[in-house]
Amino acid sequence: MRTTASRDAETLAPPSRWRTVLRSHSAMPVVLAVVLLAMYLWVNSLQLDEIERRVLNPDTLLRMLGQHLKLTAVTTVIVVIVAVGAGILLTRPALRWLAPAATGLANIGQATPAIGLLVLLTIWLGIGFTTALIGLVAYALLPVLQNTIVGLNQVDRKLIEAGHGIGMSPLAVLTRVELPLAVPVILAGVRTALVLTVGVATLATFINAGGLGGLIVTGIKLQRTPVLVTGAVLTAALALLLDWLGGVITELFRPRGLD
Amino acid sequence: MLVRNPYARLLTGVALAAVALSTGCSVTTENSGNEVSVGTGSIKKDAALSGQTIAVGSKDFTENIVLGQLTMVALKAAGATVTDRTNIKGSVNTRQALLSGDLDVYWEYTGTAWITYLKHTDPIADSQQQYAAVVTEDKEKNKVVWAAPASANNTYSIAVREDKAKEWNLKTLSDLAAFTKSNPAQGTFCLESEFLGRNDGWPGLTKAYGMSVPAGSVKSVDTGIVYTETQKGTSCNFGEVFTTDGRISNLKLVTLEDDKKFFPIYNPALTINGATAAKYPSLATLLDPITAKLDDATLRQLNEQVDVKGQPAAQVAADWMKKQGFIA
Repeated sequence: MRTTASRDAETLAPPSRWRTVLRSHSAMPVVLAVVLLAMYLWVNSLQLDEIERRVLNPDTLLRMLGQHLKLTAVTTVIVVIVAVGAGILLTRPALRWLAPAATGLANIGQATPAIGLLVLLTIWLGIGFTTALIGLVAYALLPVLQNTIVGLNQVDRKLIEAGHGIGMSPLAVLTRVELPLAVPVILAGVRTALVLTVGVATLATFINAGGLGGLIVTGIKLQRTPVLVTGAVLTAALALLLDWLGGVITELFRPRGLD
Repeated sequence: MLVRNPYARLLTGVALAAVALSTGCSVTTENSGNEVSVGTGSIKKDAALSGQTIAVGSKDFTENIVLGQLTMVALKAAGATVTDRTNIKGSVNTRQALLSGDLDVYWEYTGTAWITYLKHTDPIADSQQQYAAVVTEDKEKNKVVWAAPASANNTYSIAVREDKAKEWNLKTLSDLAAFTKSNPAQGTFCLESEFLGRNDGWPGLTKAYGMSVPAGSVKSVDTGIVYTETQKGTSCNFGEVFTTDGRISNLKLVTLEDDKKFFPIYNPALTINGATAAKYPSLATLLDPITAKLDDATLRQLNEQVDVKGQPAAQVAADWMKKQGFIA
């Protein structure tokens, strides 16, 4: 029999987030696993010709998936550093007037057709990973920058003033009041950028930067449906998986006070 | 609050990629449908075609559009009304349109039909035999009728800058194979992903000529980039090109001779939807006098007028037909 005191301690202790998060986010991995398994079984049941076997083998697929992940990961890291950093600067009182110009610039990056941007960049920078990276970063910057600015601006002014009032330095107000409260919005922007990057990284194959786009292009040009479907399903699955991961991380990082 | 839906973004991304894939890969021509007047030359009015409407299609690259325009000019001269459906994105879509009857005719290449549509992995080395095999199988499986083929061969080739070819003394692909062995650092290639995937592309080429090029020296890029990068000569010294492309001479590139006759033959010929061919049997022979004139040099010159000099494909086609006396 439990004492009243221990029951109180139990309710006061923060509930394990892991369990709730995993329970509420378990559907997506199951769906993805089923889809991927179905695709594997379908491709396996086909009589693949030499052209299809040349790309639909574990070595090639893993290499392309690896290239795609690397492009996405490096792009996201750069985008988060640049856009969150810029977003913080652009919400400080001294630089606030620059915000419209900066988002306008990021808008241009996103509005420019990615394939056009990539090809234009090759004329200047040549072909390869770095060029693809620059194109992808330009493309994915907007949602993170925009959401960082919006996220920081929507923090209740009274809370910020209260922070100043109890003697916190501006840096402390930023790191202990503003950023924690803006995290859900910022992470929503990062998730958008992730999904966007996975999709647009399929264009990297046009400039020798690899990725799953190679499967899609080969599938279309040579009319090999299994190759095209494999490329498209893997790309979509990767985007959904990363978005799911982003969802889990968002929940885990959400300030406890917002639970 | 500006939190955008990531799924909507994914869809946008995929849609963008699809648009880019379908539009980004070739030279496209605006104003390809300019109206041109057609008088009577050596092509006479055809009683069966007179007043009938024929839908003419083409794929989305210059040469195929020009061939479509030539066909339209000839059909008009024969008295038919034409529907311009040239510049369809991608071979597969164009072919589907022919099979479904949305198109009555368009120009296809024997090698493409044999490998892409009829799904054979290995080409037939002899031009005549390949044409005959395609004609039989395509009629049998898809009821598609093939008119006589042109002698032009829009196949693959490896191109290099003129000055480099001279410096390294390269004339044939065998020279190239020897060169990549003695100068591996200079043996860098810009290739399309399609070329990398086909049996009649890179895998077969390296085997036939006994080349072993390390994976790091092979760059997979889009068609347009192959030409510009080969011309720049920094990322790659050699590029995979199409033999009848007008840009080869314009960018001061030379193609290396396929001395082992490895590359398949891609002779263009008019393909006709089965039902259309049954209704108008004369369609299959109407263009024969024109087809007979279409060799590599002629096609390259027509392509160059569009790609390099910027003239509308319809105008280029009509001018050439006049010069040849097919129309007045």
